[in-house]
Amino acid sequence: MRQLLSLYSLRFPRIIIYMLQTSEYRAGPYLRWLWRTGDFSRVSKRGSLKLTNYARLLLIGLVVGIFVELAAGVGLIVVGIVDNMAAYWELGISLMIAYPVIMPNLIVLPLEIGRLYIVEPKQKTKISRASAIFASHPGVKIAVAGSYGKTTMKEVLKTVLSEGKTVAATEANHNVAIEHAKFASRLKGDEQILIIEYGEGAPGDVKRFAANTHPTHGVITGLAPAHLNNYKTMAAVAEDIFSIASYLKAKNIYVNGDSDAVKPYLRDSYIVYGSKGVANWRAVNITVSTKGISFKLKRGHTVIDLNSKLIGRHQVGVLSLAAVLAMELGLTDEQIKAGIAKTAPFEHRMQPYELDGALVIDDTYNGNIDGIKAGTQLLSELKANRKIYVTPGLVEQGSQSEAVHKQMGELIAKAKPDIVVLMRNSVTDYILAGLKDGGYHGETRIETDPLGFYNNLSQFVAEGDLVLMQNDWPDNYA
Amino acid sequence: MNKLKVGVVFGSRSTEHDVSIVTAIASIIKPLQLSGEYEPVPIYIDKSGRWYSDPKLKDISLYSSGQISDFLARQKPIQLSLGGGLKIIKPGLKPKAIKLDVVFPATHGTHGEDGELMGLFELADVPYVGCDMPSSVLAMDKALAKIVTSSQNIPTPEFVWFYAADFAADTQAVVKRVAKLHYPLFVKPVHLGSSIGITKVSQKKDLINAIEVAAHYDNKVIVEEAVANLIEVTVPIIGNDKPVAAYVEQPLLNGDDVFDFDTKYMRGGKGKGSKQTGAQGYSTIPANIDRDLYHRSEQLALDVYAELGCTGIARIDLLIDAKTKSVYFNEVNPLPGSLYAHNWRKAGKSGVQLVSELVELALARHEQNRHKTTVFDTNYLKQY
Repeated sequence: MRQLLSLYSLRFPRIIIYMLQTSEYRAGPYLRWLWRTGDFSRVSKRGSLKLTNYARLLLIGLVVGIFVELAAGVGLIVVGIVDNMAAYWELGISLMIAYPVIMPNLIVLPLEIGRLYIVEPKQKTKISRASAIFASHPGVKIAVAGSYGKTTMKEVLKTVLSEGKTVAATEANHNVAIEHAKFASRLKGDEQILIIEYGEGAPGDVKRFAANTHPTHGVITGLAPAHLNNYKTMAAVAEDIFSIASYLKAKNIYVNGDSDAVKPYLRDSYIVYGSKGVANWRAVNITVSTKGISFKLKRGHTVIDLNSKLIGRHQVGVLSLAAVLAMELGLTDEQIKAGIAKTAPFEHRMQPYELDGALVIDDTYNGNIDGIKAGTQLLSELKANRKIYVTPGLVEQGSQSEAVHKQMGELIAKAKPDIVVLMRNSVTDYILAGLKDGGYHGETRIETDPLGFYNNLSQFVAEGDLVLMQNDWPDNYA
Repeated sequence: MNKLKVGVVFGSRSTEHDVSIVTAIASIIKPLQLSGEYEPVPIYIDKSGRWYSDPKLKDISLYSSGQISDFLARQKPIQLSLGGGLKIIKPGLKPKAIKLDVVFPATHGTHGEDGELMGLFELADVPYVGCDMPSSVLAMDKALAKIVTSSQNIPTPEFVWFYAADFAADTQAVVKRVAKLHYPLFVKPVHLGSSIGITKVSQKKDLINAIEVAAHYDNKVIVEEAVANLIEVTVPIIGNDKPVAAYVEQPLLNGDDVFDFDTKYMRGGKGKGSKQTGAQGYSTIPANIDRDLYHRSEQLALDVYAELGCTGIARIDLLIDAKTKSVYFNEVNPLPGSLYAHNWRKAGKSGVQLVSELVELALARHEQNRHKTTVFDTNYLKQY
């Protein structure tokens, strides 16, 4: 009954536009979400509609559409009664009842038409112009691809290389073709180094990005099950991400060796980096704490002491690569040390903050199993009064979801947190099974109100506690 | 899983009415709700003593916005049923009764923290959080608490107490009794907390005025000697048979050596822009005193807690003479404002852990008391 009533509530049109907005106005994800939703009153738990001009226009369109449908229904009923034609009034009643089904589906039509005939042709022109800009740009162009860790890698490279060079990089996680085009349009042409992040989402994406941006160097940060709803298999993900190596004819390719999944795709000409170092530079004397990491990069008798505010052993590879690339591009040891010292956690990526005496590590932008490995390893390495691990699980794991989440449960169990907090959703039972298989004996809490938990975290923690929060599920995955 | 229904009683006819609202909503109801194990039922006693219960009473903005009067005007006061546990009954066409599994008193000061509520809960035979009725009565009467603890050789500053009525009837007789004390003195209402009505008196000429202020708030007044070279510390404690202390905390005093209402609740935070409010922004945790003094303070507080028969939770205030290193008992607060959760959090206990533990302690004490015999068969009535 509650589900049925939610279809006819006054908030229903706003919820529909919220779902469209959260799905970034893409028909596929929106329709999948729409069709699997039973109770629309429970959709908007994590956020609410941001009434942008576009959203307002769509909302008005939807409300007008609903009124037109209701008016048509009333009209048909009146005609049916006056002319004594049962089919008319039956159709009228059906129209009036069915508007919550018809209109939310119908609304994607103008969106898709607009996308096909207006947005995409415009974008193609911009991307084509950008391709010419990239092709003629004289700077070193470093492409950063991978299933995870791209933004961190890009930001670390930018921070370190900026100590001695003029560097421009794509912003935040603006990592698709149209964002690359906007980036190209802002370039002055005198930059010495460009860093371009590739955000793969479907087969062929990375190949297209490489063709458009003409990289001279490629960094592959790792492979993990991600976007499997589109890629279907890990092999397809790998094929797309490693297409950057084909573009560069296997030269100047740097691959994260800490990622187990990349190993079958490694070639001799690739330069492997990781927590042990880069090529013949070895990372030694690694110290991990809540304040950051420090280590020495050593080759023969040459030693460089590096200190960063980034957290977690898995960052040693990222920092080592940045240092070695900086050397290759002509930066001095002092510039490299200064650059590495400036690297600090980025928002929601292993970002520590203090909460009433407890240390919270916010890794809620982490969405892959390798990130979970890194996080749980960090949790086991650090000392705390109580260790609390919080996660809803991972999204877009496709057919591997059960296996990935069981592995996740086992990894969490191995880190031995005192409390595990899971957000109730479709993968919770898999994680619980993994915890059980991993022999976890601590306390487990299942939260049904994730937002309530996050907003009141201070009530759950005390001084000396360590809280690791990995990944977050927006409403459209709940 | 059926959640335990925890009635949280707050407000009441007390000068600390508003403090009680914050304690109840922020430090008790919220964490109880978040624990996932309890269902808090808000029970608000308004300033005229009427009892109300409604889920909306859990919202602090109802009080801070001043809409509480309008809201209550639309509500009917609840009734209580004491037979077979405590039930609150919401009147209406079909009265709704809610049986409470546990009660969490969150009132401060008179008509609540002073033992009155605890007597009601004892009669209803319902488990309740915190000190029982006798210890609450003792704790909330500063004079009685000092008399009891002194009898067990627990040091306390020299003091004199009297009824406000006696002072009104024969002021000079009271002044004469006070004359044996050495200035400076503190004049306090006996039953009030949150430092309300307290005056520091340095000269005899100010004494009568200070007593009049205290007598304005209470029917009983205590005058005691001030401790020289003062360091004031406070020790939050929880537990029944095996009480444990949080950190010995050192509040910031105002210019008159008083941790007054304004310092405690109004100034909040260390400087502009601080989000902290209340005592947590104006104290040092742990207290900045030497190790020996720290441990003696902690032990003295635990001794006071035991001697007064406190259970559940209390906060013991102590006075230290920094020169002689003497530690004195000052007073007990059987329901510390906001449960002193900031100190417990520092000591490693989260808000959720604290309230959960307090409910468990209440259930354990009730279970323990249940086995006491309350029936004694005699032939007494047969003679009539």
